Amino acid sequence: MTKNMITAPGFGRRGFLQGTAATLGGLGMGSLLGPLRANAQSPELTMWWWGEQELPGLQAFVDESVAAYTDAKVATMLQDTAVVISQFQTAAAAGTPPDIQYLWNGIYHMESAWLGYLKPLNGLVSEDTLRASNPTILSNFGGNTYRLGWYPLPMVWYYNKDLFEKAWLDPEAPPATWADLLAACEKLKTAGFEPVGGGVQDGYWSEWYMSHGFVQTLDTVGEAVELFIGDKDFREPRYHEHWVRLEELRTLGFLNKDMPSLELYPGIDLIVAGKLAMGPSAGSRLPADSTATNGRIGCMVMPVFGKGKLAGKPIVDMQGIGIAEGAKDPAAAAAFLEFLNTPDRLNAFHRITGWIPSSSRFSSDQIENDSVRSMWKTWGESPNITNVTNLMPGQFYEQAAIPTGQQVISGDLTGEQAGELAAQVAQEWREFNPDLVEKYQQWVVDLSK
Amino acid sequence: MTLPQRITPYLYVAPLIGLLAFVFGYSIVSMVEFSFKMVRGIDGPWIGLRNYRLVLGQPLFWESVGHNLLLLLAIPVMVAIALVISLLLYERLRGWKLVRTVIFIPYILAIPIVAVVLKQMFQFSGPVNEVLRWLSLDFMALDWIGSGDVALWTVMALIIWRESALGIILFLSRLLSLDEALTEVARLDGANWWKRAWYVLIPQMRGVIEFYVVISIITMLSAVFAYVYIMGGGRGGPGTSTMVVELYIYNALVRTSLPGIAAAVSVMLFAVSLLLIWVLFALRRRTDDAGT
Repeated sequence: MTKNMITAPGFGRRGFLQGTAATLGGLGMGSLLGPLRANAQSPELTMWWWGEQELPGLQAFVDESVAAYTDAKVATMLQDTAVVISQFQTAAAAGTPPDIQYLWNGIYHMESAWLGYLKPLNGLVSEDTLRASNPTILSNFGGNTYRLGWYPLPMVWYYNKDLFEKAWLDPEAPPATWADLLAACEKLKTAGFEPVGGGVQDGYWSEWYMSHGFVQTLDTVGEAVELFIGDKDFREPRYHEHWVRLEELRTLGFLNKDMPSLELYPGIDLIVAGKLAMGPSAGSRLPADSTATNGRIGCMVMPVFGKGKLAGKPIVDMQGIGIAEGAKDPAAAAAFLEFLNTPDRLNAFHRITGWIPSSSRFSSDQIENDSVRSMWKTWGESPNITNVTNLMPGQFYEQAAIPTGQQVISGDLTGEQAGELAAQVAQEWREFNPDLVEKYQQWVVDLSK
Repeated sequence: MTLPQRITPYLYVAPLIGLLAFVFGYSIVSMVEFSFKMVRGIDGPWIGLRNYRLVLGQPLFWESVGHNLLLLLAIPVMVAIALVISLLLYERLRGWKLVRTVIFIPYILAIPIVAVVLKQMFQFSGPVNEVLRWLSLDFMALDWIGSGDVALWTVMALIIWRESALGIILFLSRLLSLDEALTEVARLDGANWWKRAWYVLIPQMRGVIEFYVVISIITMLSAVFAYVYIMGGGRGGPGTSTMVVELYIYNALVRTSLPGIAAAVSVMLFAVSLLLIWVLFALRRRTDDAGT
């Protein structure tokens, strides 16, 4: 075409200028129209998410993924911790929810599902992706799954190998049974170390203790729900045994003395600093803590006292993500979630955050930290159970789970009295929330499978 | 008095009432409406007085009310501290202006900042107990924020320390506005400091003391959230030992998904606060009448 123009008869300066203008204009319009066409064709999605607060680097991963995604324009918003649920529910009720919403596990998203604010993901996201992400059984209701797993939170017990060695305990064989634990505590105490504990002032330790202890008395996670809806009773010795065991640790003087006045994370810091031997922690802390101690922090499952079928199993909680019922384009939202679960994005998640994405498509061979890889082999790649405290109604969590642990530790309640208080609060919850009791009764069916 | 004269005062306050109605009107109406509903999400079915019955039948609510009432014990202490310090400052001892500024600093600082610092200091292994142990006063090294028997008293001490500053400034302002001739006459008559304070100064401060007491009662019943939230680990702990009505409302609304319950308690707290404000104005009117 250019050749034809140049050799055409009568081609003068005016023609050259006109031709040049037309060519440049065409090029310019083309470059402008390209994105306009793409924008006109690609859907626009909104995604409200949380997690940078507990997993630094997640923001960078989200930003990179959004930039790399070409099938839709995704506008993201990092939510404040206090409003993750209420902000979504208010927007959903007003008919303006985000397309994609970050979802905590269990009741923390199931209530939104019951209110009709979440879309079931089965049929929308491929079954293969859904299963690979391990959203956990707590995401199921009425045969539907409402979340995709995003990243895991293994719930471990830390122990300090240096203190174990100084107390003549095998640092590679932490206590596995309750009798082993008491014997180890005695040796640690004799050696001048505070054996077990953490910090309970802000209450979260009480919850974590229930995650590890209460679950040991259960055969299924559905059994926990039966306690809340009144089919079973916390006053039965089996169901408050974990508080009796906690009382035992206190009366034997095995808990650290400043436990009631310390918060959760300063309490865990004591283990890392070599001032406390054992206690509950979060697996997501391990990369940093392992590096800080040159690999001298070990992970163990809470020593077993219970006779339930779930006793002694590693616990993995799961953060997740889902699609709002009011999403403008659910198929486009699902496609973006599929994109986040491609091998490239899963590897990018690990590269950017240093943590593990929740997908069986991610190979743990990529984890360079030996302690983390070893921990993940047990918690992530072996049979594990979910965190049963995510089933607790908020009222029970606030008025029973948190205060009972604090009061048993400070000696204000016995384990048995804690069971009575839990039964009373469960009864109050049923009176305050008759509509939720019905939902919980239906949920048991999914949770007992 | 003609009709326009009678209407004029109301016309002056009408814009302010309109503004208040615009800002708070809808919220208050919604709050009352919610208190009669089982709210899920942003609405729910009408259930009459059920929310009120549930709240009034729950031991935790009454425990929270009890803690608020216990905090009222702080008020006489605050008044006494504020009176003594303001009367001492009124004597214009050397450096009194600097002392006045230093005393008011706690009141200027945000409550969360003060509470976080004091929480660190009052930990079982914190600086306060370390000093006590260093002084061989181990028996006094209590678990200030970790023991259910002690925690509320620790919160109360923090409230007294901070809120007394307001009393000092109010009382001192009143003292500085008094006619000093009366005090001088008493001094010339041989009255010592105590007699001048008791018979001359304090009687003239009655109005401001009553004002401070009523304001403090309202504070103790409905404005201690920030203290308790920080010192009690965000949950009114340990256990429920520092749970107060405001935190009860917050938990119901934010943490236990019970906006109807939160609204019912808010309505009751609002009613009590209104009653106290009415008492305040009644006292003011009585003081004014006595003055004229």
